[in-house]
Amino acid sequence: MLALIVSHPLFGLLVTLVGYQLAMELNQRTRTLLTQPVLVATLIVVSLLLLFDVDFETYYASADIIWLFLGPATVALAVPLYTHLKRIQDYFWPLLVALLVGGFATVLLTLGFAWLLGAGPELLASLAPKSVTSPIAILLAEDLGGSPALAAVFVMITGVAGAVMAPWLLEKAGIHLPAARGFTLGLNAHAAGTALALEEGEETGAFAALAMSLTGAVTAILLPLIYGLTYPG
Amino acid sequence: MLGLLMLILFQFAGTLIAGLGVNLPGPVIGMLLLLAVLLLMRRVPEPLQITSSHLLKYLPLMLIPPAVGIMSQWEVITSSFVAISVALLGSLVISIPLTAWILQRLVTRRAES
Repeated sequence: MLALIVSHPLFGLLVTLVGYQLAMELNQRTRTLLTQPVLVATLIVVSLLLLFDVDFETYYASADIIWLFLGPATVALAVPLYTHLKRIQDYFWPLLVALLVGGFATVLLTLGFAWLLGAGPELLASLAPKSVTSPIAILLAEDLGGSPALAAVFVMITGVAGAVMAPWLLEKAGIHLPAARGFTLGLNAHAAGTALALEEGEETGAFAALAMSLTGAVTAILLPLIYGLTYPG
Repeated sequence: MLGLLMLILFQFAGTLIAGLGVNLPGPVIGMLLLLAVLLLMRRVPEPLQITSSHLLKYLPLMLIPPAVGIMSQWEVITSSFVAISVALLGSLVISIPLTAWILQRLVTRRAES
């Protein structure tokens, strides 16, 4: 009976949709940042697979109808990036400097801390793209020799943690300018940060969306270059 | 469907360029190419606008299957738990105030001058 369900070509789609629906339900009831739907859904799917004794490869192959669209969706990110790019004219040079300094700082600090605490090359490659939006992070981690799964989870944890800590950190640093608050949230906490920024106001939200899109594109270009230079082989 | 065709054509173009030795993932090159075309056109064609917003609505769902791969990574997570936590949280604690401070300072300084 169970084998019939598990071996069905739509099993992966079924489990993923069940996990996502339950996670969305939980997120809407609790209304906290901590119940990030994709993170919760991932844990539900993992639990279901362990329960039904299905290995990851079997699940992944039968969920191909979902992840095959990740490529076109990544290309589609150009559309929101183009739309938000209009905002960059407001403060072109300050935004460019903040983007490069903030982007470099995040990557170098992450790799530095992890390296000092003994992380190996595969883990470092999975941590490097953690402040980039997930679809791009997955591709980058794979290219750098890391684990796409770890990268995806690290991105989500970063988003949640960043959105939880940012209001307090921004308060302590005395940041009141909506553009600075929004841009920082988008750069450091991508989707979760952008959602939080939108709650603060339209301008904050717009700069967060701009930062999230820009960080994705700029990191995608620079990370393989920097990584090749600082971590040969 | 024209919008989806455009996206897939750009992805294939990206994959071809990656195959020529550009050190970037194919879909990322496709995204950058599409961005360049949009910047030249100065508008988003309607089919592309519609397909993109529909497709991106499903993006969270698409991220679940790759993320489920952590089930074969427990060993790394448990053995490097401290390194991972410090790296993820420590970098945020420094880079959030730093990014915001730089931007606020540059913007207010320019407004004053």
